[in-house]
Amino acid sequence: MGCGKEILQIFSKNIRLILGQVSVDFGQVQEIRLRVQAPLLMICGNQEYYITSQGGLSTQDRDAYRVTARELKETLEYMGRYSLYAFEDEMRQGFLTIPGGHRIGLAGKVVCDGGGIRTMKYISSVNVRLAHQVRGCGDPVLPWLYDQGRFCHTLILSPPRCGKTTLLRDLVRQISDGSRDRPGMTVGVVDERSEIAACYQGIPQNDLGIRTDVLDCCPKAQGIWMLIRTMSPQVIAADEIGSREEMEALEYVMNCGCRIMVTIHGTSVEDVRRKPVLARLVSQQWFERYVVLGPAGRAGRRIAVYDGREAKLYETGGG
Amino acid sequence: MPVGVMMKISGSMLLIAGTSGYGFWKAGCYKSRIRLLEQLRQMVFLLKGQVLYANATLEEAFAAVGGRTEGTLARLFLYVAEEIGKQQGEAFFTIWKEAVEEILADSELKEEDRRQLAAMGEHLGFLDRDMQERNLLLYLEQLDVSINELRAHRQERCRLYTSLGVMAGMFLTILLC
Repeated sequence: MGCGKEILQIFSKNIRLILGQVSVDFGQVQEIRLRVQAPLLMICGNQEYYITSQGGLSTQDRDAYRVTARELKETLEYMGRYSLYAFEDEMRQGFLTIPGGHRIGLAGKVVCDGGGIRTMKYISSVNVRLAHQVRGCGDPVLPWLYDQGRFCHTLILSPPRCGKTTLLRDLVRQISDGSRDRPGMTVGVVDERSEIAACYQGIPQNDLGIRTDVLDCCPKAQGIWMLIRTMSPQVIAADEIGSREEMEALEYVMNCGCRIMVTIHGTSVEDVRRKPVLARLVSQQWFERYVVLGPAGRAGRRIAVYDGREAKLYETGGG
Repeated sequence: MPVGVMMKISGSMLLIAGTSGYGFWKAGCYKSRIRLLEQLRQMVFLLKGQVLYANATLEEAFAAVGGRTEGTLARLFLYVAEEIGKQQGEAFFTIWKEAVEEILADSELKEEDRRQLAAMGEHLGFLDRDMQERNLLLYLEQLDVSINELRAHRQERCRLYTSLGVMAGMFLTILLC
């Protein structure tokens, strides 16, 4: 996936010029944050930096370049390719996804219509979260997700920004391609926010393996039904599940002999047990494997794998 | 017959042929203008479909509609899609206006047609899908008015251009002889 300086094209001319002078490896950049009348920020290697008007990185607020309302407005236009109307549904949820699978978080004035959110206007904060495909990041986990050659129903959980989607993407690729020890499996991906496959005009920009079918921008619950009925997948993967409809669809999938691999926000299995819609699936041990990701520590990112009874099978990193 | 008379007759014939040709060419331009406006109307309909039903971005919509048609207008649509894709930091209206002025400068469309078409781009991409629909419908209405007016006067205008061409040639011949 392209995650070099081409990402700069989404910014207004002046910010593009400033960021173009920043001497960092854009493969390491996690976030770029713009707020009206506030410093331009970059998060790189888990460290936050102020960006100066000359494109330098600073830890001092006073050196920072301050973003104007006009620059933010222009940036939004370029992000939406002059077509913000086409992102109405996503904007209602507070984000939009751009080619490359990068997610743009938005905050501003929310316009309500009846009980629901109609749109967002006067956008004052933009958070550009750069997506990175990290090939091989699933290597330590993958062997634990099989039991006697059979792929287990897997739930990946972690707090935000700990790499759930990146891990899911790599696992999908490896399960789909297969290896000498594991035959490749047909994987169906429901990519509601275009973050996993980063489809552009329907074509995945990320490598998700040779046996993967992607339903792009499709609501997860409907997408799961559609895949089951039409593409006969052996494994279904989805990111950030949580609604009751999604749980019902997952339960149906589990009863059809199809395997599932999904992610959710959380810090431990205990956390998930407290979530109202997931509690039953966890207590009845529907999931056979839990992969818990934690923030990076001195010994690298913490990764732990548990079985359905929550017995630890594998742990690395943290500290 | 003396050479001088021969020359005069040939010159007169050439003059009448030239002015008549110009008259026919003007009539042809008039018909081409109607054809172009009709094609434009069809393309804007397709554009509306892309925006409203396929939820396509302007880049995708212009590329799709341009790819389905031919001629100068298709070139305009494809050029705009390409320019949007380049993401050079220009406002959409600037891209659109420049493309209309540049690509349609030598077309049969009149200044007034080009101005209306350029104005359509002023609010394109702005706000929600309803706004896009209204903007495109407004332009389609303007197009309908222009096409109907041109069609209503087509016969008399074409006849006028051709007969004026022939008559002007004859008049000049008489004047010069």
